[in-house]
Amino acid sequence: MELLRPESSAEAVALLGNGARALAGGTDLVPLLRDGLVTADALVELGRAVPAGIDGTRIGAGTTLAELEASTEIPDALREACRLAASPQLRAMGTIGGNLLQATRCWYWRLAVPCYLHGGDRCHARDGQHREHAIFGNERCASAHPSDPAAALLALGATVRTDRRELPVADLYRLPTDDARDVTALEPGELLLELDVPRPDASAYLKAMDRQRWSFALVGVAAARVGGETRLALAGVAPVPWLLADPAELDRATPLPGTAYKVEIARALVRRALARTA
Amino acid sequence: MARLIRTEKEVEGRYEEVWTVVEEDALEQWPAGPLDVVGRPAARQDGLQRARGEARFTADVRLPGMLHAAVLRSPHAGATVRSLDLAPALALPGVHAAISFEDADFLEREPGYPGASVAAVCADTPEQAQAAVEAIQVDWDVHAPLLDPDEAVARGQLISEGQDYVRGDVERALAQADAVVEAEYRTQSVLHSSMETHQAVCAWEGETLVVHISTQYIWGVRDEIAEKLGLDRDNVRVICEYMGGGFGSKNGAGEYTLAAAELARRTGRPVRCALSRREESLDSGNRNATIQRLRGGARSDGTIIALSGEYVNAVGWDGWVAGTNGPMQMLYSVENVATSLRGAKLNSGPMKAFRAPGFVEGTFGLECLLDELAAKLGVDPLELRKRNHADLDVLDGRPFSSKSLMECYRRAEPHWERRHEVRARSDETWKHGVGLASQIWYGGGGPPSYAWVRVGSDARATVVTAMQDIGTGSRTAMAQIAAEELGLPLDRVKVELGDSARGPFASISAGSSTIPSMGPAVRSAAGDARRQIVELAAQRWQKEERTLSLKGGQIVCSDGGSWPLESLLGLLEDAQILGTGARGPNPTGMRVLTFGVQVAEVAVDIETGEVRVDKIVAIHDVGRIVNPLGAKSQVEGGIVQAIGHTLSEHRLLDPTTGLVLTQTLDAYKLPTIADVPEIVCEFIDEPDSHLTNLGSKGLGEPPIIPTAAAIANAIRDATGANIRSLPIDRAEMLRALAEAAAQRKEKVGAPST
Repeated sequence: MELLRPESSAEAVALLGNGARALAGGTDLVPLLRDGLVTADALVELGRAVPAGIDGTRIGAGTTLAELEASTEIPDALREACRLAASPQLRAMGTIGGNLLQATRCWYWRLAVPCYLHGGDRCHARDGQHREHAIFGNERCASAHPSDPAAALLALGATVRTDRRELPVADLYRLPTDDARDVTALEPGELLLELDVPRPDASAYLKAMDRQRWSFALVGVAAARVGGETRLALAGVAPVPWLLADPAELDRATPLPGTAYKVEIARALVRRALARTA
Repeated sequence: MARLIRTEKEVEGRYEEVWTVVEEDALEQWPAGPLDVVGRPAARQDGLQRARGEARFTADVRLPGMLHAAVLRSPHAGATVRSLDLAPALALPGVHAAISFEDADFLEREPGYPGASVAAVCADTPEQAQAAVEAIQVDWDVHAPLLDPDEAVARGQLISEGQDYVRGDVERALAQADAVVEAEYRTQSVLHSSMETHQAVCAWEGETLVVHISTQYIWGVRDEIAEKLGLDRDNVRVICEYMGGGFGSKNGAGEYTLAAAELARRTGRPVRCALSRREESLDSGNRNATIQRLRGGARSDGTIIALSGEYVNAVGWDGWVAGTNGPMQMLYSVENVATSLRGAKLNSGPMKAFRAPGFVEGTFGLECLLDELAAKLGVDPLELRKRNHADLDVLDGRPFSSKSLMECYRRAEPHWERRHEVRARSDETWKHGVGLASQIWYGGGGPPSYAWVRVGSDARATVVTAMQDIGTGSRTAMAQIAAEELGLPLDRVKVELGDSARGPFASISAGSSTIPSMGPAVRSAAGDARRQIVELAAQRWQKEERTLSLKGGQIVCSDGGSWPLESLLGLLEDAQILGTGARGPNPTGMRVLTFGVQVAEVAVDIETGEVRVDKIVAIHDVGRIVNPLGAKSQVEGGIVQAIGHTLSEHRLLDPTTGLVLTQTLDAYKLPTIADVPEIVCEFIDEPDSHLTNLGSKGLGEPPIIPTAAAIANAIRDATGANIRSLPIDRAEMLRALAEAAAQRKEKVGAPST
């Protein structure tokens, strides 16, 4: 496998595709390569090709979670989401861009079971072990999206800039379909460069985990209030970060037998997040 | 004098009658309390080597010309190999040899669980070996797996014959009880998760097979390899200098070692076979899941009059049936007890002993049942336990060699009393509570075990014995015992261990037996050396032997004279004083057990089901404490492991295929440092006056036993919710809270009569 180290984003984009994959912090990509879930002939190392750092409302996609959790400039929801993600070692390596594009932790998918998301005909988690899985959007694939910051950015109404367009974080994701068995809407070779994160009047991120630290969200709840309007988004409850139009939407969740408890947790955390941002 | 005796031998709660040679245990016990070295905290003698990365673990062994083995493991829970072709593997670059079930009977044609070993390959690099394994052509005939333990029992698919135990008449007693509780408890399967994975390096040196292996029992590995490969036992040399954790999973050789030995034989090169973390989750053993259907009845004064338990252990494809029924039979003085125990044979990875196998699971069920009974009776849970204390061994009326459980309860009182103040901290969402649970376990060790001590002219001593230090600090404890006996400062004693060719037979490091089995042997060897030194000193200075003793590196005479030990031993030049010692017999007609109690303080977020353990107080009675610092580490480690078992660890299987889903450390959730509560550790520290020249029992297992029940009971104290299964994850906590809320509603809504 070849390691390419482009000097600019344009150079990086030119190298991507044709078996070349983008490498940022590598905390997800390297295990995926090792496990054969992703294959690559070349890795395009983004260190010099993608902006890093915080500049007003803009955040370079190459900024590490460790930098974000220590920043006083960014909204509380994003900072907390970063702080509660992973472990200090992983946050020191992992970038915000990579975090948004990380693969699901669904054990069936990670063990290369030929499930719906891998192109198969059914979701194995639905009839199998699914205590960590989805309560929304789970008809075809019950995987849960693992990113804490993605939920925060969704609630904050952030946009992302790629090498070819600007789009709301909400449009970065879509549920898998028969024709497209993945959860992000990026085109092949499209490179995430920067985020724009508007400043809310108040925001918060709350997370329920299986242990105190270093665990993906069973339920993560982000809330961001601008004026009288509060937007809610959830992590760990659907194959994609989930925008909750209204707390009552939780009454319409479609939990599996083993994930019904997540609805209850989500209700409590939504209530608390709303109180915290009121 | 050596004696041949027929005796009961106990390991991990399994008893067998064996013939054994024992030596008289001639030394008087030391007085209770801290001595010059024993009973005082000592830092690990090998701490610096470990910190510097100089300690050589099996994982560090790299021999010249060494090849790497990889194992073809069954991807199916149940299957038969129709055909298997090694040729494509052998054709790959770097591959030296390959074997399958056609070459060796430790490999399986009909694997019964995912991860069972079918074939093995060795190559120049681990990557080449792995690629070769993937190239092996296999045609599988896949069978539907049996995964439900109750179904296995119903079908008669058992690991061994069922065990039924009765004393008294449970049904009659239950009918007469003032309160009866009936409940089903479940515990999950958890993984040992040793930092060093199972691994071995095998090399032939002439006719001798040298085995470097991460093991708890070098002698057991020696015998197992000799038997399976048809070798003379003394032609197998087993080495384990440092070891990265075993917890019961490394008591035997394992297929990986046998495969490495066979591949080394075929290639004439050293071969290393090391399991990956994922292989560890498939084929290195586990604590089996259990189902416990329990009933208990008591009189209104708190006398428990009946206990019954139907226990099913989900053993897996292989293993043994651990004593989940033990605590119910042994912990309390209850007249009427009936237990049944069945071990289900399933298409899942074989269980292996895991730190107090059976008793961890059984104590969870029993001690939760007791608190549910206490709640129903309105009796204080600590009082209930005191009232049903067993003064004699309830199995056969034997006296205990020592038992200070009542003293443990007494010392628990101030911690238990805190529950009023702890509960008062509760608010609308966070509920606080305190719970406790008792501990009973074996841990008396036994013969045979031997040690040698040599003392040189520089007045430094070396203990030589072929035991292993599995990471618990055995080296340091043995050095302390020898130093105490020889009157030497601790830094003048070192310990050489971990090599079956370089020391006498020593005990397995399992079943909390290292200190109680090895400690007396080391003291006996040091005592033999001391006796010789005193004899020489008496001649050198014309004193009576009875007036001489060794202390602080000096020979001290009761008439006031003293001489540095070197002034005598210096005469030896390169000669040495050699002492030999053996572990004496256990006391006859007595039951040797360990006891304790733990008190847990928890907080529960009743809206989200989050459980936070704030504090665990552990009070254990294991006889004399040799190294208080090492003992505290044991307790802390046991409690951290127990917290994982109680709250977050769970080996999950796909219910259809039996595939292990939690193969990586993000999915299999060990506790992290953030989950560790304040741990307060107390020891009774009274020598067991009947047990050996040391009076010490083992402490490896006791601390993990009562923690889960203490936490579950604290949760009941905080919330009124009855926890019924482990792990207490959010789903179980919210279920129990909802059930408790429904019961409260029922009570409130019930018509008053």
